[in-house]
Amino acid sequence: MIETQTLHKDYLRPLLRKLGKQYRLVGPVRNRFGDTLYIEITDLDRVDIDLKHQPQNSLKSFFFPQTEPLASYIVDTEPLSPTQLYSFHPLLPENRPTLYFGVRSCDLFAVLYMDMIFLGGKHRDIYYEQRRRGAVFITLGCNEPFANCFCNATRNGPFLEFGFDLQLTDLGPARNSYFVEAGKANGVKIVRKWARFFTVSTKEDRRFQYQAALEARGLFKQLVHVDLACQELEKGCEPEDVLTDFSQRCQDCGGCAFICPTCTCFSITDQARDQGSGERIRSWDGCTFAGFTRMAGGHNPIDMRRHRIRKRFFHKLKHDVQKHGRPSCVGCGRCVDMCFGGVDIIRFINAITEAGDLGRGKKRGV
Amino acid sequence: MEYDTYPSCSLDARRQAQAGRDNIYLPDQAIIRNIIRENSLVNTYELTLVDELANHRFSFQPGQFMMISMPHLGEAPISFSSSPDGEDGFSLTIRNSGRLTAAVQQLRAGDIIGVRGPYGRPFPADRLEGKNLLFVAGGIGLAPLRPLIEYWLSRPDEAGNLTMFYGSRTPEEFCFNRDFSRWEQNGLNLRLTVDQTAEEWDGSVGLVTSLLDGYTIDDETMALVCGPGIMIRFVFKQLQAMGMKAENIITTLERHMKCGVGICGHCHMEEKLVCIDGPVFTAAELPDPDNP
Ligand SMILES: Cc1cc2nc3c(=O)[nH]c(=O)nc-3n(C[C@H](O)[C@H](O)[C@H](O)COP(=O)(O)OP(=O)(O)OC[C@H]3O[C@@H](n4cnc5c(N)ncnc54)[C@H](O)[C@@H]3O)c2cc1C
Ligand code: SF4
Ligand code: FES
Repeated sequence: MIETQTLHKDYLRPLLRKLGKQYRLVGPVRNRFGDTLYIEITDLDRVDIDLKHQPQNSLKSFFFPQTEPLASYIVDTEPLSPTQLYSFHPLLPENRPTLYFGVRSCDLFAVLYMDMIFLGGKHRDIYYEQRRRGAVFITLGCNEPFANCFCNATRNGPFLEFGFDLQLTDLGPARNSYFVEAGKANGVKIVRKWARFFTVSTKEDRRFQYQAALEARGLFKQLVHVDLACQELEKGCEPEDVLTDFSQRCQDCGGCAFICPTCTCFSITDQARDQGSGERIRSWDGCTFAGFTRMAGGHNPIDMRRHRIRKRFFHKLKHDVQKHGRPSCVGCGRCVDMCFGGVDIIRFINAITEAGDLGRGKKRGV
Repeated sequence: MEYDTYPSCSLDARRQAQAGRDNIYLPDQAIIRNIIRENSLVNTYELTLVDELANHRFSFQPGQFMMISMPHLGEAPISFSSSPDGEDGFSLTIRNSGRLTAAVQQLRAGDIIGVRGPYGRPFPADRLEGKNLLFVAGGIGLAPLRPLIEYWLSRPDEAGNLTMFYGSRTPEEFCFNRDFSRWEQNGLNLRLTVDQTAEEWDGSVGLVTSLLDGYTIDDETMALVCGPGIMIRFVFKQLQAMGMKAENIITTLERHMKCGVGICGHCHMEEKLVCIDGPVFTAAELPDPDNP
C-alpha cells in the first residue's frame, strides 16, 4: 500500500492538465445557469469546475447513454427471386480511456452496481464494457452531505473504503489541500508518475482527515432507516397504504428512474431509416411505465400504477438485497429532488419504518 | 446486515471468464427451410443458421427459447418446438398475436430472419429421468413441450410412462396433429379434448382439466403444463388437489422480454428474472402459483 499524500488545491488543475493528455476528462462543472453537471471537459481553462455542489446527473449516462445504437441492419430482396435478405452490423462505441474526477461516493458506488448488472452475469454487455474499460476514478469524499443525502444509511458514503483509484478529502480552508488515498492500481500509478504535485501526508493531515470523515457522518440532515426498511420488506411487509397514496400522486413521468444512478432497465427498438435499412436502438426504460411489462394481446402481469411503484421500490430494497446482499439505492437523494409528487424513496422508507414526515407535496431539503 | 461490497467487481476476471460469442445483442441470420401450417393463426418454421459452422455447433435444450428479429419490428422471444436431437437446425412455432408475429406469417421459405440464443433455463432433464411424465397442454402451449416429448420418446429406456392431455378450442386448431399417430406408436398415451363439440369429432369435449379426473398420481409422476394463463392456473389447482407436490409441477412462463439475457430488467418477477432464472419454473418457485 502506498503512503497517503496531500495535494495542494493550486495543483489540482495542473495535475488534471497533465492527466488530460492521457485521458478524456469528465468532472463536475457549473454552467451559466447555475447547474452543476458531470460533463466531458475539453478545455480545463474554460470551465468552472465545481467541487462544492452535488452534480445533478450521475455518471450513468457516460457508461449507459440514454439512447445508443446497438447495430444497423439491412433488408434486401434478392434480384431474381423475391427472397428477403436481412443482416445486422454492430455499431460499437469507441473505447476512450476516461478519467472521472470529483466523483461523489454514491456515484462511484452506482458504477460498481452497473458493473454487476452489465458485466457480472453469464452474458457480458460489450457496449457497456467498451465505455467502462480504462475508466479511472478520482472521487471526492463529502465533508458536508447535501440536503437529501443518506448514503450513510445505504453504507456507501460519505467516504469510500474501496472502488476508487484516488479518493480526495478536503482538508479545509486553512490547509487549502486535499488528503489523497490511492486505492486501485491506476491511482498508485498517478501518484508515482506525478509525484511532484503530491506531498507525503503528515500525522496531522491524517488526524484531520479522520476527524473530517467522522464529523461528516454526523451532518446528515435526513434520518433514513434503510436497514430497518429492508428487514421489514424481507419479513413480507406490503405497505398498501403508502402505495395507494403514491399511485395517486405519481404522474408516470419516469423521472425517478431516469435520474437514478442505479436504475439500469432499458428497451430495445428498431428505427427504420428507409425501407431497406435501419438501426437497432437501446434506450432507458422505467418499470414505472405501463408498457414496461405489457405483453401481446394487452395482458399485463403488473397492470396497476400501485404495482409498478411497488416494483421499483421493492427491486431496490428487497429483491436486490436477496440477490446481491445489499440494497441498490445508493442514497444520493436525487429522486427526492426530482419528484414534485413526493413519490421518492425516502418517503417510502419512512412510511415502512414509521419515521419522519410523510407530508404530501411538501418538498424536503432546500 | 453487512454489505460492504458487491460480490465480484473485477473487470479482468470477468473478461477471462467469458467464453463464446462476444456481442450478445447481434442476431445471426437463419434461413427458413420449410413452413408448416398448424392452424389459421399458427405456423411452424423450420430454420437453419446461414453460417454453416455456427449451424454445426448449434444446440439447445427443451424449454429454451430464441429471440427472433423481423425487419423494422424488433424482436420477440419464441420457444424451440423441435427435437433437441435434430441434425439440421431447429423449429419455432409462432402464433399471430401482434405486430411482429403477424409479419412472420407473411414469410416464405428461403426468407431470412434474425435469431439469437438459445436462452433460458431448460426443463430439468435430470429430474425427469425415469419418471412418469404427465404433459398437460392447451393450444399453442404444446409447442415448448414438443421437444421434451420427442426427447423422451426417443429414449424409452430412460423414461417412465408418458401421458399427454391436450386441449384445443376446436378440432381444427390442434397443433402438431401430424405427429400424433407416430407419438402414440412410440408409446405416448394421448388424450385430446375440444372446448366445443364439432362434426366428425368423436373424442372428448370439455376443458383439459376434465381429462385429469381419471388419472392417478404417485410420487414418481412429474407434470409439465403449458397453455393459456387461466388453464395453467386451473391445472395447477387440480393437480395439487390430487396430491401432487408443487415442486413436481413444472411450467414455462411468458413475460415481456427485451434482452433475453438478464440485463434489461423487463422480465422481473419479484426477485427472479424470467429470461435467465426461467422461463421454466416449478409451481413451488412461483411467487403466486395461482397467477402464473
Ligand atoms: C420465453 C417465451 C417463449 C415464447 N414462446 C412462444 C412461442 O413458442 N410461440 C409463440 O407464438 N409465442 C411465444 N411467446 C410469446 C411471443 O413472444 C409474443 O407473442 C410476441 O412477443 C408478440 O409480439 P408481437 O410484436 O407480435 O406482439 P405485440 O403485441 O404487437 O407486441 C408489442 C410489444 O410487446 C412486446 N411483447 C408482447 N408480448 C410479449 C411476450 N409475450 N413476451 C415478450 N414480449 C412481448 C414486444 O416486445 C413488443 O415490443 C413466447 C414468449 C416468451 C416470453
Ligand atoms: S432510489 Fe433515489 S436516492 Fe436511491 S440511488 Fe436512486 S435516485 Fe438516488
Ligand atoms: S428479458 Fe431482459 S432481463 Fe429478462
